[in-house]
Amino acid sequence: MAELLSARNIVKHYGGVVALSDGNLDVHAREVVALIGANGSGKSTMSKVINGVVVLDGGQLLLDGHPVYFPSPQAAKDAGIATVFQELSLIPQMTVAENIWLTREQLNAFGVVDRKAVHRRTEELLALFEGTFKTGLHPDAPVAALPPDEKQIIEILKAISFDPWLVILDEATASLDSRQVQRLFELVAKWKEQGKAIIFVSHRMEEIFRIADKYSVLRNGKTVGAGNIKDIDEKQLIKLMIEKESALGFLRGEAKSDEKIEPEISLEVENLTTESLHGVSFQIHKGELIGIGGLRGQGQRQLLHSLFGDLPYTGTVKLFNREVHFRHPREAMKAGFALVPGERAREGLLYIRSILDNFLLPSWRRYGFPLKISNAKGDAAQVGSSLNLKMAGLEEPVSSLSGGNAQKVVIGKWLMRNPQVLLLDDPTKGVDVGTKAEFYALLTRLSEEGKTILFYSSDDEELIGLCDRVFVMHDGMIQTELSGKALTKENLIAASLGVSNRGAQ
Amino acid sequence: MKQSRWDVWIGRQPALFALILLILALMINLIFQPNMFARETLNSNMRVFLPIILLAVGQAIVILGGGIDISVGAIASIVNTVLATRVGLDGSPAQLWQFVFISLLAGLLAGAINGFFIAYLRLQPIITTFATSFVYAGLALFILPNPGGGIPANVVSLYRNTTPFSLPLAFYIIAIVLLAWMYLSSTRYGKFLFAVGGKADAAYETAVPVTWVQFSTYVISGFMAALAGIAITMLSGSGNADIGGPMTLNSITAVVIGGNALSGGVGGVAGPVMGAITLGIIQNIISFASIDTWWVTFVRATIIVVALAAPGLVNLIRRKWS
Amino acid sequence: MKRFSVSPPVAALILAIILFLLSGLLPQGFGSDLNVAQAQATNIVRLAVFLGVIAAGQTLVIISGSEGIDLSAGSVVTLTAILTYVIVNGADARVLPALFISLAVGGLVGFLNGVGITYLRISPFVMTLGMAGVVSGAIIVITHGNVSGRVAPIMTRLIARPLSPNLQIPNAVIIWILFGILMWLLLERSTFGRNLFAIGVNRVTAKLSGVNVTGTNLVTYSLAGALAGFGGFLLVGNTGVVHLQLGQPFLFPSIAAVAVGGTLLSGGKGSYWGTMAGAIVLTLITSLLTTMQMPESVRRMVLGGTLLILISIYGRQRSLRQ
Repeated sequence: MAELLSARNIVKHYGGVVALSDGNLDVHAREVVALIGANGSGKSTMSKVINGVVVLDGGQLLLDGHPVYFPSPQAAKDAGIATVFQELSLIPQMTVAENIWLTREQLNAFGVVDRKAVHRRTEELLALFEGTFKTGLHPDAPVAALPPDEKQIIEILKAISFDPWLVILDEATASLDSRQVQRLFELVAKWKEQGKAIIFVSHRMEEIFRIADKYSVLRNGKTVGAGNIKDIDEKQLIKLMIEKESALGFLRGEAKSDEKIEPEISLEVENLTTESLHGVSFQIHKGELIGIGGLRGQGQRQLLHSLFGDLPYTGTVKLFNREVHFRHPREAMKAGFALVPGERAREGLLYIRSILDNFLLPSWRRYGFPLKISNAKGDAAQVGSSLNLKMAGLEEPVSSLSGGNAQKVVIGKWLMRNPQVLLLDDPTKGVDVGTKAEFYALLTRLSEEGKTILFYSSDDEELIGLCDRVFVMHDGMIQTELSGKALTKENLIAASLGVSNRGAQ
Repeated sequence: MKQSRWDVWIGRQPALFALILLILALMINLIFQPNMFARETLNSNMRVFLPIILLAVGQAIVILGGGIDISVGAIASIVNTVLATRVGLDGSPAQLWQFVFISLLAGLLAGAINGFFIAYLRLQPIITTFATSFVYAGLALFILPNPGGGIPANVVSLYRNTTPFSLPLAFYIIAIVLLAWMYLSSTRYGKFLFAVGGKADAAYETAVPVTWVQFSTYVISGFMAALAGIAITMLSGSGNADIGGPMTLNSITAVVIGGNALSGGVGGVAGPVMGAITLGIIQNIISFASIDTWWVTFVRATIIVVALAAPGLVNLIRRKWS
Repeated sequence: MKRFSVSPPVAALILAIILFLLSGLLPQGFGSDLNVAQAQATNIVRLAVFLGVIAAGQTLVIISGSEGIDLSAGSVVTLTAILTYVIVNGADARVLPALFISLAVGGLVGFLNGVGITYLRISPFVMTLGMAGVVSGAIIVITHGNVSGRVAPIMTRLIARPLSPNLQIPNAVIIWILFGILMWLLLERSTFGRNLFAIGVNRVTAKLSGVNVTGTNLVTYSLAGALAGFGGFLLVGNTGVVHLQLGQPFLFPSIAAVAVGGTLLSGGKGSYWGTMAGAIVLTLITSLLTTMQMPESVRRMVLGGTLLILISIYGRQRSLRQ
């Protein structure tokens, strides 16, 4: 087994975009290195360099001091490097066992896959996470039918199934619940004892400080700091990640109070039910900024998409005391709803089209026939500048923008319609810290203008700092509602895990 | 995103729908053709169906791997014209075998060209094989500008009348193909095929040789198309450069009613084989059903479209119900 | 880094001019005499009109993405040409009803394509190929193998003749330019056009931005059918005679013309100006081959090869490894 993998002065471009300009990393056996950086800083690229998924444009990988070159993922695997991918590398149509052992199936004398042996070894692996599954997970279950957290676990098992010496965990904890994270960390500790090295890529500070021995910080494609985790604290780390510290100034903190902003009820939902929502009811007042919390995949996405008319549901929704039931996003949009979806590239943007086209997609109808393009451009430019959008021009494709700026386009296309109800699905995911601060200011301003905002976030700090009330969802229901003094991190986490305040007494 | 139990179950029995359809078609056909299970009728039916069955098997493998091959009919045409012009009505058996061998090589080569453009140059499968189908069809027409030529009559009658153990020769060929598939699908290559068709990016990250697997599916399909071309020639005994073209859509239809997803990664080969037989039987029924001659083309084409629409219709109705 | 960029329509036009000039070097080519060359060029553009109009619908469905394509365009052209021929039967008064019926019948076929593709989730290639068979069958049913009719004098005057004896621009070209402006308005200056590009790039984003994806898709295929119908009407006005294979030869070039014009075959990006330039290039290539007395087989191979080269240049999909 190898002892040390080093990356030296790694350079990687995607087209004209520089993802890494000077990436450096040392990973020793029996060590967990946290790879930290804002989004777009090059973390994922760094892991893809190490596991041979991308071609290097410059720099050198060294294995125990000797230069190595991985022309393919297979070569990196042969060198004992396994990756738990952020974007899952599972084949949905295939079973758990087939996925875990893909390319390493046990064969019998005729070259036929030995199903019994594969089955048995899969069960052994599944046993590592026994007790944390929500479904009766078995080796022959098709992966497509599994919830996201179990897919992630299969992904982890797949990576460690060939006993690698280096494991890259690229945002592997993002979709796991706390029990599963706990189990993973126990395994990581065991792997360390076995002489394995681990690269831990994560946004979650708390996890980094829980598990890492070393840290390495990337900023704009450059490694800007590395050392022992013991010698640094959260604040210093964040300082390394961003150039300015201003982003943390978003907290509304003192301004927030228990008294209601406006008495008028703007959105009322009663017993909203879908396949994964089991009766959601709530009332929101005009100008309220409501957070939705809870573990990932508890129905938050479905709630937002149902309200926006994208998913069929039963139950009543009232907007300003008038019953509405949208069957298509178009109807919701006309009634003044807006949805910023969770997956920016897949659901929010037209990648190869211009910024102008993206801004105007919901609003073209307003510009008549033939379309008054100059008016449209004027309006788009205005929204763009109000959002502080950094772009080369409205005619440039959205693909030329950074993650944060692209997200501004998604929000901007709705601001052009001046919506009354904003539904946001984790809008700050994958957004750099500077842009996050701008979003917080924007959301605060919008709610002060009297908009109703329903805002799901996977970041608890955001919910606590920003929202008037937080609905914590668990298993398709609102488990708990937190507001005012009760809106604390402890309560939020307790509620997320399905322990209601009353139940805990 | 959660699948119902029904979906999972159906997902594992992709050929079930094809089997039900096949039995239904067989029963209707039995009304028109009461002696259809007699050796002679069975043999003559099966040898007519064989070319489409072979094309459907190749098509199924390409589609499982996430692609599609529009050029299969044109490849079969090339083989047909090569045999009809090079062997000739008075050719010797040695010549026949020589050009059968060359035909198979030609099929492999045509498939390899498709595979090269699609897997290595990363072009869209549909439009690429559509373009090559034009090139191949042009080549077939170049080899044999007007229908004609042929292979020795005694070879044709030997092929037509060989029924080992009183079963049509086609049954043995189908059995060999199915056995080969059963073996292939349980090897590592089989897993690769499903992985590439299911999600190519993920397969690549898992170190599956994606490009190679994609390439190989077109080579297999080219080979099967060449076999189909040989079967067509043996059946008709003559050459025609346009004989294969219309069979392409039938091969795709057979795969669709065979229960394979056109998006890839789901299904097998037994379903498409049954699908191809079903299509053949439907053609039979049409010719027995005393339909006005002018209407036959229209009815056939409409049945193909309805067959293509069937899985979608079933889904639509199920969605409306639930 | 400054990118070297020529917009695809301009590039296609330059290609057409280069081809035209090069053809002057061929023994039987064009352009050896200036007057002859001018007449030849005018004639090529006039011939390109029909391909250009037929390719308009193809441009729309290709922009709509999800492997959008219309393989029924050729049969629809034949059908509406025959309908026009039979309905008009020499009478000027029946020209407008014939135009209306051509648009309606084409639109209906397109609508059926759209229903199959959107509601029954049949792949556009397969659905429209199947529909091509159905339309061909319908032609046989309607004509019983022979057609009798005549075009009206007014059609010949409006389509085949020049605007005035002094100005040697054929009316068809004027119609085409007006048609081009309408297509530009539709694609670039209407909400429908913007929505069409949006569904071509990403249907999830489009739906979540309030675009009626199904409706837009359905309208696109219906419109494409109607435009093919219009193409049939124009074509018969030019040729003055019909036969059962009138439209088929336009199908493959119509797709190639769209590709030459720089419209992304994967959808979401493109223009009708490009298709117009592409139609000129394709017509030029076909005319050259005809002038050089190349057989049908070579013509097919050249067309197939052209498309293959085009997609190798424009149609590369992203690599699995970056």
